[in-house]
Amino acid sequence: MAENQTPTLQTMERVYEAEIKLLQEEIAMLQNQQENNEREVISHFGEHTQRALTSQPDFQRGTKDTAMNLKMELEKLEEDLARQTKMNGIVLNECEVNTLEKSKTKIVQQHRVSGNCIFLDFQVEFQLTEILEEEATIVRSITDLNIVVDGCEFIDISAFVSGVEETKSLLLFFRALRAFSERCEHRNRTFAHFKEKYPELVRLPEGCRGEVMVIQNPKIPGCTLSFVWNITVTKDGVIIPKIDLLTKLPEQAALALDQRMVAENGPQSFQSLLRILGVEATIEALIAAVCVE
Amino acid sequence: MEDARECLRDGVLNHLNVLEIEALELSRQQQLCLQQQSRVDDLRIMVDKLRAQKDQLKARAKTTMSLQQLKAVVHQRNEEFNDDISEEGCSMTAKSQLSFLMARKTQVKDLLQAHHLIGGYDVTETCRGKGVCISIATAFEGFYLETYNLELDVSRAIQICRHNIPPFIPLEKLAQVNLQTDLMGFLSTLSHHLNGFAGRRQQIRLIQEVLRDSVEVMESNVLFNTIVLMCADPEENGRAVLCTLEYSDLSRYLPTKVTIESEDKALPSTPQWKESQSLLLQTPAHTALKALKMKGQIA
Repeated sequence: MAENQTPTLQTMERVYEAEIKLLQEEIAMLQNQQENNEREVISHFGEHTQRALTSQPDFQRGTKDTAMNLKMELEKLEEDLARQTKMNGIVLNECEVNTLEKSKTKIVQQHRVSGNCIFLDFQVEFQLTEILEEEATIVRSITDLNIVVDGCEFIDISAFVSGVEETKSLLLFFRALRAFSERCEHRNRTFAHFKEKYPELVRLPEGCRGEVMVIQNPKIPGCTLSFVWNITVTKDGVIIPKIDLLTKLPEQAALALDQRMVAENGPQSFQSLLRILGVEATIEALIAAVCVE
Repeated sequence: MEDARECLRDGVLNHLNVLEIEALELSRQQQLCLQQQSRVDDLRIMVDKLRAQKDQLKARAKTTMSLQQLKAVVHQRNEEFNDDISEEGCSMTAKSQLSFLMARKTQVKDLLQAHHLIGGYDVTETCRGKGVCISIATAFEGFYLETYNLELDVSRAIQICRHNIPPFIPLEKLAQVNLQTDLMGFLSTLSHHLNGFAGRRQQIRLIQEVLRDSVEVMESNVLFNTIVLMCADPEENGRAVLCTLEYSDLSRYLPTKVTIESEDKALPSTPQWKESQSLLLQTPAHTALKALKMKGQIA
């Protein structure tokens, strides 16, 4: 009895397996079509979509449930996106995906992503290649990378960016961009803080986002202290902040102070102060010194 | 009767044995048949599920509009709005709203995917907000490598409950520094450590793959922070050169110290090798060695 049934079971198994494969392919195609259509809609009606989230048109029965479910699903996804944005410190505004090549063992996609990290805007284009190897492992790699960064701080990372493009180190770029932006923001905040606190003494010749802050007491003309705060990125993405003190003294004062070797020892003493007190307290101390004079 | 007699001659036990074997065979076949039956049942369920999914997708395609249709609707709405201001021109048809909702859903999904691809920490909540699972991606020069996961309990003080981070990564030490005070800082340092490790290991893999004939990896450790490489000399009677790469900063994939040694004591101080030493300090090992091979400095 068992022997009679086996062949029919086997044929059924084969028929079902074939149908499953066919259905899976068809579903993948339908999904792809639908999503491409939706991506087109977004790129044409960005603002309308926002309105659709808030407006409440009269739904017919049936569609109402679909819409409610969809809204709930969407809310959940929006929450995820907000959390991801917060965690990554990177805001993504737009992304575009195009499939360039697709076979059973290889997929090549072109991605274009734009957004900002604190106040640095970026646009990144990359090619993602996925190759299915034996033992069902997928090897993913970036095969082409182009990066555009906007902002006056870009000059300090341009060498790093071109190195990253050459080696296709997409993840390294974003790790370094985040760390670099945070450091720059810290510098801006510090400069802005002192400008606000001592408007008469502090000058920012390049603005808040520049790297120079000049301190000058109007009562002591010709005597200035300049903080030059450089932030650079090494080839492998290490952020190196460097603060130097440049002093300018009028001749008379220079002579008087020369006995104490102030002008010569200043920069060196400044570095040890920085190590001991940290940036803010060091600047504060120097401002206090200038005021007393 | 004849059979019985035959059996008695062969012995009852023998006969029983034969019967038992037959019974076992029968039950095996039945088992097999049952298994096959249940597999066919599973397949049938799968087919039904997929058919339903396909129908759903087709239905969804019908309820939403294509870009062209939407354009027409929006255009018409705008015109109506211009013609008669008192009418609520802003409201949308149910169908177009559905289309927009779905479009936004796809967009958000794409953005989430993009966050993942650029190496963002993938965060998922577990146990109704009491815990979070965070993934840290690693990559080296375009190649995506392992992803490591951490499960954090955030109900009171932040605690690491589970993780698959290799034991030689100083997780405890890093956690003591700023896990409680600066979670983002902690994740960033950890990510640098993991990427440094993945990057160092990948360089060795690439050397073993691409420079098999010229460079031999003599020594390496689990952290890949002390590596000894033996480079073959291009000349036939030449002597091998030993390069020792030391990485004292575990969050980096470039060495902090490079030592060149050779039986030929004068060789490390030749300008050529001095230059190579600084190249090895600034460039990933596989790239630097490839360049040396191109120049003919190593075989």
